[in-house]
Amino acid sequence: MLLRASGQANKTDVRLEGSIGTGDGGVEHGDVLLRFAEAATRGSNELGEARIALIDAIGAEAFLEAAATVGIFNGLVRVADSTGIPLDEGTRNNSGSFRESLGLNEFASARNTDLTQSEKPAPPDAPVRDVFSTG
Amino acid sequence: MPGFDFTRSPVPVRPSIVEAQRAFWNRLAAPGSWWTGEQRVAIAAEARRTRPLRREPPWLRNIAPPEDGVIPARAVEAVRTIAVDAHNIDRPWAEQTLAELGEGAYVELVAVTVQITALDAFAEALGLDPQPLPDPQPGSPDRMRPQGLGDIGAFVPCLLAAPGPNVGRALSLAPNDNQTFFGLVGSMYALKDFGELVWQDRPLSRPQIELLAARVSAINECFY
Repeated sequence: MLLRASGQANKTDVRLEGSIGTGDGGVEHGDVLLRFAEAATRGSNELGEARIALIDAIGAEAFLEAAATVGIFNGLVRVADSTGIPLDEGTRNNSGSFRESLGLNEFASARNTDLTQSEKPAPPDAPVRDVFSTG
Repeated sequence: MPGFDFTRSPVPVRPSIVEAQRAFWNRLAAPGSWWTGEQRVAIAAEARRTRPLRREPPWLRNIAPPEDGVIPARAVEAVRTIAVDAHNIDRPWAEQTLAELGEGAYVELVAVTVQITALDAFAEALGLDPQPLPDPQPGSPDRMRPQGLGDIGAFVPCLLAAPGPNVGRALSLAPNDNQTFFGLVGSMYALKDFGELVWQDRPLSRPQIELLAARVSAINECFY
Protein backbone atom coordinates (compact mmCIF):
# COMPACT_ATOMS: atom_id res chain seq x y z
CA MET A 1 0.00 0.00 0.00
CA LEU A 2 2.64 2.49 1.05
CA LEU A 3 4.96 1.23 -1.65
CA ARG A 4 2.45 2.17 -4.33
CA ALA A 5 1.46 5.45 -2.69
CA SER A 6 5.04 6.55 -2.08
CA GLY A 7 5.97 5.60 -5.62
CA GLN A 8 3.24 7.88 -6.96
CA ALA A 9 4.25 10.70 -4.64
CA ASN A 10 7.92 10.36 -5.60
CA LYS A 11 7.12 9.97 -9.30
CA THR A 12 8.78 6.56 -9.26
CA ASP A 13 7.36 3.79 -11.39
CA VAL A 14 7.39 1.19 -8.64
CA ARG A 15 6.56 -2.39 -9.53
CA LEU A 16 4.67 -4.07 -6.77
CA GLU A 17 5.82 -7.50 -7.93
CA GLY A 18 9.12 -6.69 -6.25
CA SER A 19 7.41 -7.34 -2.93
CA ILE A 20 6.86 -10.98 -3.85
CA GLY A 21 10.39 -11.45 -5.15
CA THR A 22 9.87 -10.72 -8.84
CA GLY A 23 12.04 -8.04 -10.44
CA ASP A 24 13.65 -5.08 -8.72
CA GLY A 25 10.56 -3.17 -7.64
CA GLY A 26 11.31 -0.35 -10.04
CA VAL A 27 13.30 1.65 -7.49
CA GLU A 28 16.94 2.64 -7.59
CA HIS A 29 19.15 -0.21 -6.30
CA GLY A 30 16.03 -2.32 -5.92
CA ASP A 31 17.88 -5.49 -6.88
CA VAL A 32 20.45 -5.26 -4.09
CA LEU A 33 17.90 -4.00 -1.58
CA LEU A 34 15.66 -6.98 -2.25
CA ARG A 35 18.54 -9.42 -2.20
CA PHE A 36 19.54 -8.11 1.21
CA ALA A 37 15.99 -8.14 2.61
CA GLU A 38 15.55 -11.70 1.40
CA ALA A 39 18.81 -12.99 2.85
CA ALA A 40 18.45 -11.18 6.18
CA THR A 41 14.84 -12.19 6.74
CA ARG A 42 15.39 -15.83 5.83
CA GLY A 43 18.78 -15.97 7.54
CA SER A 44 20.35 -17.50 4.47
CA ASN A 45 24.02 -18.20 3.90
CA GLU A 46 24.01 -15.46 1.28
CA LEU A 47 23.57 -12.68 3.82
CA GLY A 48 27.25 -11.77 4.06
CA GLU A 49 27.60 -11.27 0.33
CA ALA A 50 24.28 -9.45 0.11
CA ARG A 51 25.38 -7.08 2.88
CA ILE A 52 28.66 -6.24 1.15
CA ALA A 53 26.93 -5.73 -2.18
CA LEU A 54 24.41 -3.39 -0.64
CA ILE A 55 26.98 -1.31 1.24
CA ASP A 56 29.02 -1.01 -1.95
CA ALA A 57 25.94 0.11 -3.88
CA ILE A 58 24.31 2.60 -1.51
CA GLY A 59 26.88 3.50 1.15
CA ALA A 60 27.04 3.13 4.91
CA GLU A 61 24.34 5.55 5.95
CA ALA A 62 21.74 4.16 3.57
CA PHE A 63 22.71 0.62 4.46
CA LEU A 64 21.93 1.35 8.10
CA GLU A 65 18.45 2.47 7.04
CA ALA A 66 17.97 -0.77 5.15
CA ALA A 67 19.13 -2.94 8.06
CA ALA A 68 16.93 -1.03 10.50
CA THR A 69 13.90 -1.39 8.23
CA VAL A 70 14.43 -5.12 7.86
CA GLY A 71 14.85 -5.46 11.61
CA ILE A 72 11.78 -3.54 12.70
CA PHE A 73 9.49 -5.06 10.07
CA ASN A 74 10.39 -8.51 11.29
CA GLY A 75 8.85 -7.31 14.53
CA LEU A 76 5.89 -5.44 13.08
CA VAL A 77 4.61 -8.39 11.06
CA ARG A 78 4.61 -10.52 14.21
CA VAL A 79 2.59 -7.92 16.11
CA ALA A 80 -0.07 -8.01 13.41
CA ASP A 81 -0.25 -11.78 13.04
CA SER A 82 -0.04 -12.58 16.76
CA THR A 83 -2.82 -10.18 17.73
CA GLY A 84 -5.01 -10.83 14.69
CA ILE A 85 -5.65 -7.18 13.90
CA PRO A 86 -7.67 -6.68 10.74
CA LEU A 87 -6.41 -4.61 7.86
CA ASP A 88 -7.17 -0.92 8.38
CA GLU A 89 -10.34 0.02 6.58
CA GLY A 90 -8.68 2.58 4.37
CA THR A 91 -6.02 0.09 3.31
CA ARG A 92 -8.58 -2.63 2.66
CA ASN A 93 -10.61 -0.27 0.52
CA ASN A 94 -7.64 0.77 -1.58
CA SER A 95 -5.70 -2.43 -2.07
CA GLY A 96 -8.11 -4.94 -3.56
CA SER A 97 -6.68 -5.02 -7.07
CA PHE A 98 -3.06 -5.58 -6.19
CA ARG A 99 -3.83 -7.87 -3.25
CA GLU A 100 -5.49 -10.17 -5.71
CA SER A 101 -2.86 -9.95 -8.44
CA LEU A 102 0.05 -10.45 -6.01
CA GLY A 103 -1.65 -13.37 -4.27
CA LEU A 104 -1.71 -11.64 -0.89
CA ASN A 105 -5.28 -12.77 -0.25
CA GLU A 106 -3.92 -16.31 -0.13
CA PHE A 107 -1.84 -15.60 2.96
CA ALA A 108 -3.27 -17.41 5.98
CA SER A 109 -3.57 -14.21 7.99
CA ALA A 110 -5.91 -12.74 5.38
CA ARG A 111 -8.66 -14.51 7.32
CA ASN A 112 -8.28 -11.84 10.04
CA THR A 113 -9.88 -9.27 7.72
CA ASP A 114 -13.39 -9.27 6.31
CA LEU A 115 -12.73 -9.02 2.58
CA THR A 116 -16.35 -9.41 1.56
CA GLN A 117 -17.21 -5.75 2.11
CA SER A 118 -17.29 -3.61 -0.98
CA GLU A 119 -14.36 -1.33 -1.59
CA LYS A 120 -14.56 2.43 -1.34
CA PRO A 121 -11.25 3.67 -2.71
CA ALA A 122 -9.89 6.95 -1.41
CA PRO A 123 -8.95 9.67 -3.90
CA PRO A 124 -5.43 9.22 -5.32
CA ASP A 125 -4.21 12.29 -3.45
CA ALA A 126 -5.72 11.32 -0.10
CA PRO A 127 -3.39 11.89 2.86
CA VAL A 128 -1.72 8.79 4.29
CA ARG A 129 -3.59 9.19 7.56
CA ASP A 130 -6.89 8.92 5.67
CA VAL A 131 -5.81 5.89 3.69
CA PHE A 132 -4.88 4.18 6.96
CA SER A 133 -8.08 5.22 8.65
CA THR A 134 -9.92 2.66 10.69
CA GLY A 135 -13.31 3.85 9.67
CA MET B 1 24.21 0.32 30.75
CA PRO B 2 26.91 -1.77 29.02
CA GLY B 3 26.58 -2.91 25.43
CA PHE B 4 24.82 -1.39 22.47
CA ASP B 5 27.99 0.40 21.47
CA PHE B 6 27.96 -1.27 18.03
CA THR B 7 31.70 -0.82 17.73
CA ARG B 8 31.92 -3.95 15.58
CA SER B 9 29.18 -2.82 13.23
CA PRO B 10 30.25 -2.49 9.59
CA VAL B 11 28.56 0.93 9.54
CA PRO B 12 28.00 3.58 12.22
CA VAL B 13 24.72 3.18 14.10
CA ARG B 14 23.00 6.47 14.83
CA PRO B 15 22.34 7.40 18.48
CA SER B 16 18.54 7.39 18.20
CA ILE B 17 18.58 3.66 17.39
CA VAL B 18 20.96 2.91 20.24
CA GLU B 19 18.81 4.90 22.69
CA ALA B 20 15.60 3.16 21.62
CA GLN B 21 17.20 -0.27 21.93
CA ARG B 22 18.56 0.57 25.38
CA ALA B 23 15.10 1.75 26.44
CA PHE B 24 13.68 -1.64 25.47
CA TRP B 25 16.51 -3.42 27.28
CA ASN B 26 15.70 -1.57 30.50
CA ARG B 27 12.02 -2.32 30.09
CA LEU B 28 12.70 -5.97 29.25
CA ALA B 29 14.57 -6.62 32.50
CA ALA B 30 11.97 -4.97 34.75
CA PRO B 31 8.71 -6.52 35.95
CA GLY B 32 5.86 -5.96 33.54
CA SER B 33 2.14 -6.00 34.16
CA TRP B 34 1.78 -9.79 34.02
CA TRP B 35 5.28 -11.27 34.04
CA THR B 36 8.25 -10.79 36.37
CA GLY B 37 11.56 -9.51 35.07
CA GLU B 38 12.93 -13.04 35.24
CA GLN B 39 10.02 -14.32 33.18
CA ARG B 40 10.30 -11.52 30.63
CA VAL B 41 13.97 -12.25 30.09
CA ALA B 42 13.10 -15.96 29.82
CA ILE B 43 10.53 -15.10 27.12
CA ALA B 44 13.19 -13.16 25.23
CA ALA B 45 15.66 -16.01 25.63
CA GLU B 46 13.17 -18.51 24.23
CA ALA B 47 12.37 -16.26 21.27
CA ARG B 48 16.09 -15.91 20.58
CA ARG B 49 16.66 -19.66 20.91
CA THR B 50 13.82 -20.38 18.48
CA ARG B 51 14.53 -17.75 15.83
CA PRO B 52 17.22 -19.70 13.92
CA LEU B 53 14.67 -22.47 13.35
CA ARG B 54 12.93 -20.30 10.78
CA ARG B 55 15.53 -21.61 8.35
CA GLU B 56 14.23 -25.16 8.80
CA PRO B 57 11.00 -26.70 7.56
CA PRO B 58 8.47 -27.15 10.38
CA TRP B 59 9.01 -30.89 10.62
CA LEU B 60 12.71 -30.38 11.37
CA ARG B 61 12.23 -27.77 14.07
CA ASN B 62 13.15 -30.00 16.97
CA ILE B 63 14.08 -28.07 20.05
CA ALA B 64 14.14 -29.24 23.65
CA PRO B 65 11.98 -27.42 26.19
CA PRO B 66 13.83 -25.02 28.47
CA GLU B 67 14.98 -26.72 31.63
CA ASP B 68 14.48 -23.84 34.01
CA GLY B 69 10.66 -23.80 34.00
CA VAL B 70 10.58 -20.04 34.50
CA ILE B 71 7.61 -19.66 32.16
CA PRO B 72 4.82 -22.21 31.69
CA ALA B 73 4.84 -24.68 28.82
CA ARG B 74 2.01 -22.89 27.03
CA ALA B 75 4.01 -19.66 27.12
CA VAL B 76 7.02 -21.45 25.65
CA GLU B 77 4.86 -22.80 22.84
CA ALA B 78 3.38 -19.35 22.22
CA VAL B 79 6.79 -17.69 22.03
CA ARG B 80 8.02 -20.31 19.59
CA THR B 81 4.97 -19.94 17.40
CA ILE B 82 5.26 -16.15 17.29
CA ALA B 83 8.98 -16.32 16.63
CA VAL B 84 8.85 -18.62 13.61
CA ASP B 85 5.23 -19.32 12.63
CA ALA B 86 3.26 -16.18 13.41
CA HIS B 87 1.60 -16.20 10.00
CA ASN B 88 -0.12 -19.47 10.87
CA ILE B 89 -1.74 -18.18 14.06
CA ASP B 90 -5.50 -18.43 13.79
CA ARG B 91 -8.36 -17.55 16.09
CA PRO B 92 -8.78 -21.03 17.65
CA TRP B 93 -5.10 -21.15 18.57
CA ALA B 94 -5.24 -17.61 19.91
CA GLU B 95 -8.38 -18.26 21.95
CA GLN B 96 -6.90 -21.36 23.53
CA THR B 97 -3.68 -19.55 24.35
CA LEU B 98 -5.55 -16.55 25.74
CA ALA B 99 -7.66 -18.84 27.90
CA GLU B 100 -4.58 -20.49 29.37
CA LEU B 101 -2.32 -17.47 29.79
CA GLY B 102 -4.78 -14.60 30.15
CA GLU B 103 -5.20 -11.67 27.77
CA GLY B 104 -2.73 -9.35 29.41
CA ALA B 105 -0.04 -11.99 29.82
CA TYR B 106 -0.41 -13.06 26.19
CA VAL B 107 -0.11 -9.54 24.81
CA GLU B 108 2.88 -8.80 27.01
CA LEU B 109 4.48 -12.03 25.80
CA VAL B 110 3.84 -10.96 22.20
CA ALA B 111 5.36 -7.55 22.91
CA VAL B 112 8.55 -9.00 24.37
CA THR B 113 8.89 -11.55 21.58
CA VAL B 114 8.45 -9.08 18.74
CA GLN B 115 10.86 -6.57 20.24
CA ILE B 116 13.66 -9.07 20.78
CA THR B 117 12.99 -10.36 17.27
CA ALA B 118 13.36 -6.87 15.82
CA LEU B 119 16.62 -6.26 17.69
CA ASP B 120 18.07 -9.64 16.77
CA ALA B 121 17.03 -9.25 13.14
CA PHE B 122 18.73 -5.86 13.06
CA ALA B 123 21.92 -7.26 14.61
CA GLU B 124 21.93 -10.17 12.19
CA ALA B 125 21.41 -7.81 9.26
CA LEU B 126 24.49 -5.89 10.40
CA GLY B 127 26.44 -9.12 10.82
CA LEU B 128 26.68 -8.79 14.60
CA ASP B 129 26.11 -11.22 17.44
CA PRO B 130 22.92 -10.55 19.39
CA GLN B 131 23.21 -8.36 22.43
CA PRO B 132 23.63 -10.39 25.65
CA LEU B 133 20.32 -10.44 27.53
CA PRO B 134 20.07 -8.18 30.58
CA ASP B 135 19.98 -9.40 34.16
CA PRO B 136 16.39 -9.47 35.42
CA GLN B 137 15.34 -6.87 37.94
CA PRO B 138 13.44 -7.89 41.07
CA GLY B 139 9.83 -7.00 41.73
CA SER B 140 6.30 -8.09 41.03
CA PRO B 141 4.02 -7.44 38.04
CA ASP B 142 1.66 -4.54 38.60
CA ARG B 143 -1.44 -6.28 37.12
CA MET B 144 -2.44 -3.05 35.43
CA ARG B 145 -5.13 -3.26 32.76
CA PRO B 146 -5.74 -0.12 30.71
CA GLN B 147 -9.18 1.45 30.47
CA GLY B 148 -11.06 1.92 27.22
CA LEU B 149 -10.40 -1.46 25.65
CA GLY B 150 -12.83 -3.17 23.32
CA ASP B 151 -13.29 -5.45 20.35
CA ILE B 152 -11.89 -4.16 17.04
CA GLY B 153 -12.06 -7.57 15.41
CA ALA B 154 -8.62 -8.69 16.63
CA PHE B 155 -7.84 -11.73 18.79
CA VAL B 156 -7.19 -9.42 21.72
CA PRO B 157 -8.88 -6.31 23.16
CA CYS B 158 -7.48 -3.02 21.91
CA LEU B 159 -8.01 0.63 22.72
CA LEU B 160 -11.19 1.75 21.00
CA ALA B 161 -10.16 5.39 20.79
CA ALA B 162 -6.78 5.33 19.10
CA PRO B 163 -5.69 7.27 16.04
CA GLY B 164 -3.70 5.73 13.23
CA PRO B 165 -3.25 2.20 11.93
CA ASN B 166 -4.46 -0.79 13.94
CA VAL B 167 -0.91 -1.95 14.52
CA GLY B 168 -0.46 1.07 16.75
CA ARG B 169 -3.03 -0.28 19.21
CA ALA B 170 -2.51 -4.02 18.81
CA LEU B 171 -0.43 -4.08 22.01
CA SER B 172 -2.84 -1.88 23.98
CA LEU B 173 -2.88 -4.38 26.85
CA ALA B 174 0.85 -3.84 27.33
CA PRO B 175 1.10 -0.06 27.17
CA ASN B 176 4.62 0.22 28.55
CA ASP B 177 5.93 -2.28 26.05
CA ASN B 178 3.94 -0.63 23.29
CA GLN B 179 5.74 2.59 24.14
CA THR B 180 9.20 1.04 23.84
CA PHE B 181 8.15 -0.83 20.71
CA PHE B 182 7.08 2.34 18.98
CA GLY B 183 10.27 3.96 20.16
CA LEU B 184 12.00 1.27 18.13
CA VAL B 185 9.62 1.83 15.21
CA GLY B 186 10.32 5.55 15.25
CA SER B 187 14.08 5.16 15.34
CA MET B 188 14.33 2.26 12.87
CA TYR B 189 11.56 3.19 10.39
CA ALA B 190 9.25 6.17 10.80
CA LEU B 191 6.89 7.74 13.26
CA LYS B 192 6.78 11.54 13.03
CA ASP B 193 7.32 11.40 9.28
CA PHE B 194 5.11 8.37 8.70
CA GLY B 195 2.47 10.50 7.01
CA GLU B 196 4.96 12.06 4.61
CA LEU B 197 5.32 10.11 1.38
CA VAL B 198 8.34 12.09 0.20
CA TRP B 199 11.36 11.97 2.50
CA GLN B 200 13.76 14.73 1.56
CA ASP B 201 16.55 14.30 4.06
CA ARG B 202 16.93 10.57 4.46
CA PRO B 203 19.56 8.39 2.78
CA LEU B 204 16.95 6.09 1.23
CA SER B 205 13.81 7.29 -0.51
CA ARG B 206 10.39 6.35 0.82
CA PRO B 207 9.77 3.91 -2.06
CA GLN B 208 13.09 2.19 -1.35
CA ILE B 209 12.17 1.80 2.32
CA GLU B 210 8.67 0.59 1.49
CA LEU B 211 10.03 -1.93 -0.98
CA LEU B 212 12.16 -3.42 1.80
CA ALA B 213 9.20 -3.39 4.17
CA ALA B 214 6.90 -5.02 1.62
CA ARG B 215 9.41 -7.76 0.86
CA VAL B 216 9.95 -8.55 4.55
CA SER B 217 6.19 -8.67 5.04
CA ALA B 218 5.68 -10.97 2.07
CA ILE B 219 8.45 -13.36 3.12
CA ASN B 220 6.76 -13.58 6.49
CA GLU B 221 3.41 -14.09 4.70
CA CYS B 222 1.91 -11.22 6.65
CA PHE B 223 -1.35 -10.03 5.14
CA TYR B 224 -1.57 -6.91 7.29
